Amino acid sequence: MFLAIRDLRRSWRRFILVGAVVALVAVLSTVLAGLADGLVRDGTSGLRALPYSSMAFEPGSGAVFSRSTLTEPALQAWQNVPGAKATPLGVSFVNATSPSGGPSIDLAVFGVTADSFLAQREEARAALAGPPGLVLAAETRDLGVKIGDIYDLGASGVSLPVLGFTFAGSYGHAPIGYVPLATWQSIAYGNDARGRFSAVALQLPGGVDTAAINKAAHTELKSKDATYDGSPGYTAESLTMTMIRGFLLVISALIVGAFFTVLTVQRTRQIGLLKAMGASSAYVIRDGIGQMAAIVIGATAVGTAIGAGIIIALKGGSAPVAFSPDSVLSSAALLIVVGIIGSLVPLRRITNIEPAIALGVES
Amino acid sequence: MTNEDITARGAVDAASSGLALRDIYVAVSDGDHSRIILDHLDMVAVPGEVLVLTGGSGSGKSTLLAIAGLLRRPGGGHVFIDGIAATELSERRRTALRKERIGLVYQSANLIPALTSMEQLELVGHINGAKRADSRRRAARLLADVGLTSRANALPAQMSGGERQRVGIARALMAEPTVLLGDEPTASLDPELAAEVTALIADQTHARGLATVLVTHDDAPLRRADRHFHLAGGKLHARELVGD
Repeated sequence: MFLAIRDLRRSWRRFILVGAVVALVAVLSTVLAGLADGLVRDGTSGLRALPYSSMAFEPGSGAVFSRSTLTEPALQAWQNVPGAKATPLGVSFVNATSPSGGPSIDLAVFGVTADSFLAQREEARAALAGPPGLVLAAETRDLGVKIGDIYDLGASGVSLPVLGFTFAGSYGHAPIGYVPLATWQSIAYGNDARGRFSAVALQLPGGVDTAAINKAAHTELKSKDATYDGSPGYTAESLTMTMIRGFLLVISALIVGAFFTVLTVQRTRQIGLLKAMGASSAYVIRDGIGQMAAIVIGATAVGTAIGAGIIIALKGGSAPVAFSPDSVLSSAALLIVVGIIGSLVPLRRITNIEPAIALGVES
Repeated sequence: MTNEDITARGAVDAASSGLALRDIYVAVSDGDHSRIILDHLDMVAVPGEVLVLTGGSGSGKSTLLAIAGLLRRPGGGHVFIDGIAATELSERRRTALRKERIGLVYQSANLIPALTSMEQLELVGHINGAKRADSRRRAARLLADVGLTSRANALPAQMSGGERQRVGIARALMAEPTVLLGDEPTASLDPELAAEVTALIADQTHARGLATVLVTHDDAPLRRADRHFHLAGGKLHARELVGD
């Protein structure tokens, strides 16, 4: 790195362009990481917040609540597992309109029983046990919903007052509204509920023969992570984001590779000179890749910082973004790794440069 | 042929230090037929002498220098550096031999634009894995030898052609070589500076006991030559020395 460091210090202008491009890629990739996190959170934060370890669905429903209908026997089968906690959960989407003047909102209505382990806080249990009402995700307050607003839930004919707000999060990009399970059943099925609900949320001890219970209960068990896949749009969004970020990484690697190749061609005579002075190809390659790595690391750091600033500035706006240091840092680390991989492109070219070039002689 | 072979080996023994080329043959394919560049050429440069090579363009001067500097292998024949038969060595050993025993001075100095005079010299130490302090000390002494102490922190772009070439000479001397090869070292200099640079090379050659070979088009090196050969038709022809 003797030469690389001094070259960077004294000819930094030459590296501005490639540094700027890598930094821009880093900005974009950081913002996309924020958007991806935001979308994921928007889609599944309500589920992530709930303290269940797995969920039993109707077989073939693919973790989609609206396709899954279970009844009492399934719940019983899971409740009978020694050491397990099992509770019914009803989930459906409704459009809620307020005749009392509140804003119209889309809601993911979650029906839970008052004694459910899903209701973690005392006030929540009390609200679920008392006269029927809505406990809404705190985000709805920002939309202008007030305690005491009355909401008509879809075409069900059920009207409920807003009892309070909680950090319920959202599901399928809709804020969650908690209601007692019985109320949910009348929203979803009217007077013909027959004890139906969507799924059984579980806290299972280790070593349970889940296959046997699934068979007896006629259910399909999904891990907590797998339940996110059922959130509307979740899989497609994740795939889209992953693809865009993948392309960005490939582009970044190619840019670094192309730049370093051009640089190598420009330096052919200098590399020949170094070799004539006794430097091995490994020495020249270490020096060159060290230089590219320094540029990529510097540019990525700058770009990531700018990207993080943009995410923080976008927070609270209409785009769902989330700032998670973990994913920002891992996206930066990935960019650095592919940048260094990209700088391996002219390796052969460097190896093939003959020291005789220093004398202008082709051998 | 056999007779020539014997005299060649005898002469090599005599030149157990310095540079000796024996029976060097180089041909390049030029379309359908091959063109002979160096035709069974012999050359000896002994310590403490400046040997000057002239020749028309395309006569093979640079090729000869590249072969003598172990930068390329000849089609046939042998190169001896201080009596070591370099042509029989592996590429790795040749590189090591070049690092330790051969200093190269290039046309227009061929300095690295990003490095100061001091660092041009230090780089040689860095490549050779020498201790930083040692190479700094040696570099400072060599810069003083070529009269450039005050320009130690100047970049090539900040120096004149003559200064650059003096740095180039100091750099060539960094690894304490026994053989010094110059490729048109005065080509880009005006006559006055050319004389200065040549004098420096000649003085260092005599002071350090180097076997020096200079390839040139210019008159300046000829005035300080101990021997002069002209390369034509792939052979060396001895020439009279021009007096000062």
